[in-house]
Amino acid sequence: MSAMREINIITNNPYEVFQRDVIAGAQETAAQREFRVNVIQVSEPPRHAKDLPLNWESLAGALIIANVLPNELLHTLHEHGLPLSLISHQVPGTAIPGVMPNNRQGIAMLMQHLVIACGCAKPVFIQGHMQQNDGIQREMAFRQEAMRYNLNIPPDYYLPGEFIPALAAESMAHFLQTNREFDCVLASDYLMAEAAMRAIQAAGWRVPEDVAVVGFGDGPEAAQAGLTTVAADVVELGRRGARQLIGQIDGLRIRGLTLLSTELAERSTTRRK
Amino acid sequence: MKPLKATRENLRRHNRQLLLRAVYTGLANNRAALALETGLAKPTVSDLIGELISDGLLTEGGLGESTESGGKRPTLIKFVPEARQVIGVSLDNGRAFGVLCNLAGQVAAQHYAELESAQGNAVETLLTDVINGLVAQLDAPLLCIGVGVPGVVDAGSGIITDSPPLGWRHWPLSERLSARYDVPVYTGNSAELTALAQYAFGLNGDDHTRSLVTVLVTNSVEVGITLGGITCHQGGDISGLFSTVGENRLDMLLGWPAVQRRAAELRRQLPGSTLPENGLTYMHVHYSAVNGDPAAQQLGEELSTYLAQIMGWIIGLLRPDHVSLAGPIVNLGDDFLRRVVEKTESMLWPEVVRPVVFSLAYSGNLSAIGAAALALHRELDIL
Repeated sequence: MSAMREINIITNNPYEVFQRDVIAGAQETAAQREFRVNVIQVSEPPRHAKDLPLNWESLAGALIIANVLPNELLHTLHEHGLPLSLISHQVPGTAIPGVMPNNRQGIAMLMQHLVIACGCAKPVFIQGHMQQNDGIQREMAFRQEAMRYNLNIPPDYYLPGEFIPALAAESMAHFLQTNREFDCVLASDYLMAEAAMRAIQAAGWRVPEDVAVVGFGDGPEAAQAGLTTVAADVVELGRRGARQLIGQIDGLRIRGLTLLSTELAERSTTRRK
Repeated sequence: MKPLKATRENLRRHNRQLLLRAVYTGLANNRAALALETGLAKPTVSDLIGELISDGLLTEGGLGESTESGGKRPTLIKFVPEARQVIGVSLDNGRAFGVLCNLAGQVAAQHYAELESAQGNAVETLLTDVINGLVAQLDAPLLCIGVGVPGVVDAGSGIITDSPPLGWRHWPLSERLSARYDVPVYTGNSAELTALAQYAFGLNGDDHTRSLVTVLVTNSVEVGITLGGITCHQGGDISGLFSTVGENRLDMLLGWPAVQRRAAELRRQLPGSTLPENGLTYMHVHYSAVNGDPAAQQLGEELSTYLAQIMGWIIGLLRPDHVSLAGPIVNLGDDFLRRVVEKTESMLWPEVVRPVVFSLAYSGNLSAIGAAALALHRELDIL
């Protein structure tokens, strides 16, 4: 009987909501395909492959969550023929495939909902991590959609959030102190949207009567807070990533990105006009 | 003996498709009704339905109403959309974009890769990399593959007659892919497939359309024609046609590289333009034009004039119910489309143009969905 093959999932923190759900999805698929999963936490980005605690003997491939490894190292691993799949990340100039939510589609849905359905015209955008693909793509999509609806968004309406809810809340609180006019907030992820909503309510504003709030992605926290989101199933992201990786291990040459569709989850933080 | 065997096989295949389509469209849902509706003998129906059930494409479930004369209640037969999956890929707009669909055309996964000016064999390698990306995501056996290509395509043989953007000439794409994936592969022109997708899966609630023409503007200019649900192959790539208004080939006026060049010229001629030097998109042109930028407005005027000439010929010759504009150019928005319609009306009699419905096809993956629809249609004769 042959030894069970192993795939590694490399992440900066397996306990964060996003990473936890990706790992759960990947583990489910791996179990179905009879692969063993080894989750590796990398606190500091290693510079060399030898610095990674990988069991090269049994390692069949690796699933990398976001930008936990430097691009140069990913490039090296790929060139050495190790099957890799990236979750919500891309490495320019390489053919390493990945799996991502359809950021453009999701932001377009949120903007259409805010502008057309709710009649909002002065959005504030809370940015994600601008070194990460999701953060970059979602802001680009927001800018494109703003142009579609002929909305002129001043630069100080783009608030730093870095996918950190506490930072999003702080940026929102700071923005509220400037007394600038706005009627909605779109955050690059739903956890930041929820944190921003708390900051808005703490300052005495009503949601959705005074300000509508929406965020990208979905989870139990968003449902509990009544937050309108576009659902990008993160567990499914993990499942699809594992399928892509196992496909490569089984000999498929794959290049490009698998995109996951998004769906509007309309809740109580927005109100149709 | 060989031709006889082929004929029997063809007849059996035809009858299977007939029954499958009857169940799929809701024409009949039990063996007796299927025999009545299709005109096939009851034993033939039973035999073929048994085969389709064993293949997983149909399933038995529940009992229907007995007939007025009483008797045994018939066993209901249902179509199983999840029994197989189909891959559709389009090679236009600078990328290979693929969808994985079930037999009802519902998309389960999408995968894409940038073409990065690849030509010839390199395009085929990229295409297979994208197909592989979807093969890895299969939930059911792969039934067939459809591929949409810009240029002249012999849809019958699956040979790409000429596709200058991809560097393919007399390229036996279907045969090569079929040998690789061991499933039937069907090819079609991208614009024709965009029209087919719109026709098969709806046109914004416009249910009365019997004839649809899609004008797909990417790096090239293509026309897809669907008349009464049948894709006509008189369309295809019209990039090389000479525009008397713009005094150039259509792709040199409307193709994206040409639009970028013209935007740069206008930016130089009309200082103070807000059109960006780098990373220009149609959305920038739309936004700048709406906000009074003369360079963007001039560019929009020119593009609408060239398009109106194309629309004029299409409507004058074919009198379609519906004309749809597709490709990234749709981001110029409704005002742009209105301008195109106004100019088309000024070229023909307004009475000829007014009955025609004009629309913008916003979805970026219509051509890939159309490729999947083509494959489904050719393989199972459904949709």
